[in-house]
Amino acid sequence: MNNLWFALEGAWHVLLAGLVLGAGLPAVFSLGIRALSYGAHQNVDDHTPHPFAKVVAAFAFGLVILAIALGIGVIVSNGMGYRLSFESIYPAFVPK
Amino acid sequence: MSPELIVLALVVVTALAFDFTNGFHDTGNAMATSIATNALKPKTAVTLSAVLNLIGAFLSVEVALTVTNAVVNIQDASGAPRPELIGDGGMSLLMIILSGLVGAIVWNLLTWLLGLPSSSSHALFGGLIGATMAGLGVNGVKWVGDGTKLDGVLGKVVLPGLMSPVIAVVVATVGTWLVFRITKGVAEKYRESGFRWGQIGSASLVSLAHGTNDAQKTMGVITLALIATGIHTDLEAVPFWVKLACAFFIALGTYLGGWRIIRTLGKGLVEISSPQGMAAESSSAAVILASSHLGFALSTTHVATGSILGSGVGKRGAKVNWSIAARMLMAWAITLPSAAIVGAVVWFIGNGLGGLFGAIVVFIILVAASGWMFLRSQRNKVDHRNVNDDWVEDVTQRQLPEEPIVKPRRRVRSKA
Repeated sequence: MNNLWFALEGAWHVLLAGLVLGAGLPAVFSLGIRALSYGAHQNVDDHTPHPFAKVVAAFAFGLVILAIALGIGVIVSNGMGYRLSFESIYPAFVPK
Repeated sequence: MSPELIVLALVVVTALAFDFTNGFHDTGNAMATSIATNALKPKTAVTLSAVLNLIGAFLSVEVALTVTNAVVNIQDASGAPRPELIGDGGMSLLMIILSGLVGAIVWNLLTWLLGLPSSSSHALFGGLIGATMAGLGVNGVKWVGDGTKLDGVLGKVVLPGLMSPVIAVVVATVGTWLVFRITKGVAEKYRESGFRWGQIGSASLVSLAHGTNDAQKTMGVITLALIATGIHTDLEAVPFWVKLACAFFIALGTYLGGWRIIRTLGKGLVEISSPQGMAAESSSAAVILASSHLGFALSTTHVATGSILGSGVGKRGAKVNWSIAARMLMAWAITLPSAAIVGAVVWFIGNGLGGLFGAIVVFIILVAASGWMFLRSQRNKVDHRNVNDDWVEDVTQRQLPEEPIVKPRRRVRSKA
């Protein structure tokens, strides 16, 4: 029975992280795209994004890129015997 | 050359062959959506995925020696093989490993022939479990672990196997729903190109993660065989040539691409668009990375398939081909037992004939089975030319003409 409990606990954590990163980040990315197209109709070709919208979009895309960098950080650090720790809020690499 | 060394060579070749099937079986997990939406040309997609798998395999320097410990008792906790198995120069252990690998490869090739994505790790574990049960009896298999952590066949394979697709479906469904909700009415110009980039980025992450996770398993198996014969004695490290060979073969397999499986995932399951593709791959990447970070062993295949399914569920009006999904579920359920049966049967044959001769016969069985399945696959070829054709009833009913009927489509790019 222990196994079932451990598995449910693990699955729950993975689901939470998955929802925040796997569903949240595409949503942020979509916000960026939405911002870029601010004021454009669905089928326009000659639309330039609003300057403020560009800032919003850049922020959204930047956030996504940062998260991807962290994702690569997790892969690399796992391989090198380190783990990514968020204990001090900002990410840091600590030996396993 | 002593017989043990020849058997060892057979084991190494077979392990690399498994690594190769592992690569091409799983290309679709990362790249099927990008190929289906034309975000990347088929050849470009598999090349990118192969390169990232190669890099990923080198990133995993962590000791992968105890990989078999999750499911069978042929090594102790430090990674050393159990002494009673190497008393005869390692022959008993080599025979178990060889049979297990044969079981895994045969199952991987059969599911590929049928165009079904199935877990390569389940196949590997299944083959090893079958061969171990045949060789050491039921007690040779670690069914539930000792209760202090998630372990054994139940904890490392069965439970995560049941839960991971559900997690992926939920995450991808929510992601897809959000993406479509947020970008409703957004100009096509931004939507198509934007999500293509997002899709390529997230798919790349999946490829990289795959290389780090999966190549490691073969490295562990080969190193175990080397230790069993006394050629390698360091329990802390994998020899460099093993790492190099495993990285190379998983990348080669990925590059050749399991087009049948890519087709099923990209065209068969859900008619997929760029925003869905991005949501699906982001979900896969997040779930795979989170689980490897938290030490919850998941199968990349289950996660990727679940995510693609979820991207169909989350988009209003999207059609999900549930009969294909059901076939996949069935394939997943029987992967472990089927590979186990093949592994066990092969072990009985090999062990019955005994020694070097037995191992050679087992190897010939593998070559014959693989050759037959390859020839069978040529009857209705699927490759980069027809991978994106419209889905008709069953992938195995399609005929590929000599000349491509559909030239690889160029990316339709809106004037920017």
